[in-house]
Formats: sequence, structure tokens, C-alpha cells
Amino acid sequence: MIDNKEVKEKILQYILGATSSVENEIKDDTLLFEEGLFDSMGLLFLIDFIRDEFQVETKDDELVVENFASINSISAFIINKIELTESNDSKKLVIIHK
Amino acid sequence: MELKTKSFSKEILNLENIELVCDEICQKLRLDIKTKLKRRGAVVGISGGIDSSVVLALATRALGKENVIGILLPERDSSPDSLMLAQKLAHKFGVRTFVEDITPVLEGFGCYKRRDEAVANVFSEFNPIEDKAKIEIKQTIAQNIPNVFSLTIVKSNGFHISTLLPSKEYLQIVAATNFKQRSRMSMLYYYAESLHYSVVGTPNKHEVEQGFFVKYGDGGADVMPIGHLYKTQVYQLAEYLGVPQQIIERTPTTDTYSAEQTQEEFFYQMPFHEMDLLWYAWENDYKAEEVALVLNKESKEIQNIFKNFERKQKTTEYLRLPPIF
Repeated sequence: MIDNKEVKEKILQYILGATSSVENEIKDDTLLFEEGLFDSMGLLFLIDFIRDEFQVETKDDELVVENFASINSISAFIINKIELTESNDSKKLVIIHK
Repeated sequence: MELKTKSFSKEILNLENIELVCDEICQKLRLDIKTKLKRRGAVVGISGGIDSSVVLALATRALGKENVIGILLPERDSSPDSLMLAQKLAHKFGVRTFVEDITPVLEGFGCYKRRDEAVANVFSEFNPIEDKAKIEIKQTIAQNIPNVFSLTIVKSNGFHISTLLPSKEYLQIVAATNFKQRSRMSMLYYYAESLHYSVVGTPNKHEVEQGFFVKYGDGGADVMPIGHLYKTQVYQLAEYLGVPQQIIERTPTTDTYSAEQTQEEFFYQMPFHEMDLLWYAWENDYKAEEVALVLNKESKEIQNIFKNFERKQKTTEYLRLPPIF
């Protein structure tokens, strides 16, 4: 089970490293695009980070503001994807077991 | 920024006196080339597209057909229509042309090899001999999120496969493909310098301001006479100047990637007539509510489109900046 707090912290650390922001400027609900923290390339590098750090692939149709607006939404997106993958894997195991 | 003086309407960008607009552009072009740049003629790279056609027509009107040359710069991925239409245009305006196939130059740079290598990193089944590839923005412009490109390959049986491009492959594809525009720029300057002419660039207002050009590629020119015109205004000029109807009716394409691709798919994400009006509205501080009413859209959608414009302009500022020293 992945820890929400840990995911958020990793995302925050990534954002601090990738932008010129300081820690107390970025809250979990800070709107990252509205604040101009990420442009197109910034978003693309963030998607790379999510893939490399959490093994979560972003698909074309998942690239919506609801999944990337803030640390809260990115974290929820990552956790949902991981849980979905785990759930599918366990279903497969059940099928194999049967 | 222009001052807002009239209420927003669908006709707000219509040029009322096209002849006067053409005369002013031609007068300025003559002054820029002859007086400021001290050159005796114009070199225009013609692609069979609407922008370069209008620029060639304007240059001919400004300087006389004997002082303008059209350079056709096809390469392996160009549509054969581009060459045919560019030749038709030059014939119509009585302009001398030179055809320079830049495929060997691009092979020398490793343009195709580097691009195809990046495509194959994403889709291992990609066969560059049989399959075609393109990159495109799949998000709608009204989504309030920065644009990210997807890669699509078209298999020889017509089957399409698409995925979001990882940054490494995206950057490699763009960097490799930009050899095309930069090679064209080099060839245009070869002709310009050998004749003591100027290179006349063809970007329109959207290309300049949204950054739909390659730095030191098609963005490399001495003068850009239609850099202040909206696309619909370029079409108005094309009709007035007598650009061949086949060119006017042709869907604007990038003519850059092996798979066919409109400029709308690649970059703009909306039809030109709408984009012109929305860009004008944004640039002139019209309220989203007023624009929404005229264009029969939701205010929220207009607000998101305005944000997208702002992002595009900021993100591409680097392209418009001269070297810093």
C-alpha cells in the first residue's frame, strides 16, 4: 500500500528541484499551472518523473487538469493508477490460481 | 498592444481597404530592402502554402518580378503538391525559380536517422521505410493544461498507433526535424548573398507570436512583411493579389513529417478563423463574456483558451529573443 504523504513529499521535492520555488511557497493545493510553475516542457519532465519514480505511465487521455493541477491531484492520480494496477494484478493471480 | 475601440464581432478583423494594406506593406518592404538593408532584390522560399505565396506576390509588387527569385526546397517527406503549386505560383507572377532538393543535405546531418531512431525508441515496431510518423497535440485548447505532444505512427496498412511522447524522444524528434528549416534558411542565404538580395521571411502573426517557427530556421530572415497579419487577413490578401485558387483552397499543412498533418492538428488546435478572433480578443483585452456571446461558446472555455495563448506566448519567448550579451 503506497503512502499518500510519501507520494506528496516526493512530488514536492521534485517540484522544488525542477523550479526556482522555495518550500513554503508550494502547498498541496497550489495550482501549479496557474502559478506558472510548469510550462509544456515542465509538464513533460514531470510525466517522466512520475514514470521513473512510481512506474506510472500517463496516457494521452489522462493528460487533463484534474490529474495534474496540484500536488494533491497528482498524488491522487498516481495512487489511483498504482491501486488499479495492483487490483488488476491480483485479479490475474486469482485467475491463474483457479 | 492595440487599444480596444469597438465592440467585438466576427467581422472585426476584416480588412476594409485591401489595396491600401497591400500598398503600405509594399512601400515598407521597398524601404526596408533598398534603404535599410541596402540590398537590390528579394529571395523568397516558396512552399506552395498560403503565406509564402502571399509574400512572393507582395515582393513582386514591391520590387518588380525581375528583382525577386523563388526558391523551392523540397525534401524526402514533402508532398509532391507543394512543388507543383509553388511552380504554378512563380509562373503566375513571372518570377524566376530555383529548385534545391535538400534531402542529401538532411541525410548528411543525420536528420532522418536521428528522428527515426527516436520514433523507434517509442514504437519498436516502427519501420521507417514503410511506416509514416508525425507528432501532434491531442489535448483540446480549452483544457487548462500546457500542451504536450503525442507521437502517432501510421502503419503501411493504414493502422494508427499513438502515445504520449517521453521528453527525451520528443526533444530528439524536434531537434532532428529542425534541420529541415535550418537547411532551408542556409540555402536561401546562399542565393541572397550570391545576388546581393535580402531573404524575405514568410511567418504570419500567429507563427511569430505563438512560436510556430524554428529559431534560425524559418525564423531566420531579414524582413517579415506579413508578421503582423492574422491568417484570415493573409487569405484576404491572397484573393486580392491573385494567388492561384488551388493554393488558397489547400488546407495548411506542416509538410514536415512523413505522415500527413494539418497545422491545426500539429499546433494550433482550432480552425484559423476562430483562432484569429480569439487571439485578437485576448490581445486587446476583450472580456471573455463578450467574446463567448459572439462566438456562441461558454465564458469558461474562452478564459481557458486565453490562458493557453498566454502560456504559448511565454513558453516560446526564447524563440523570439535575440542573442543575449
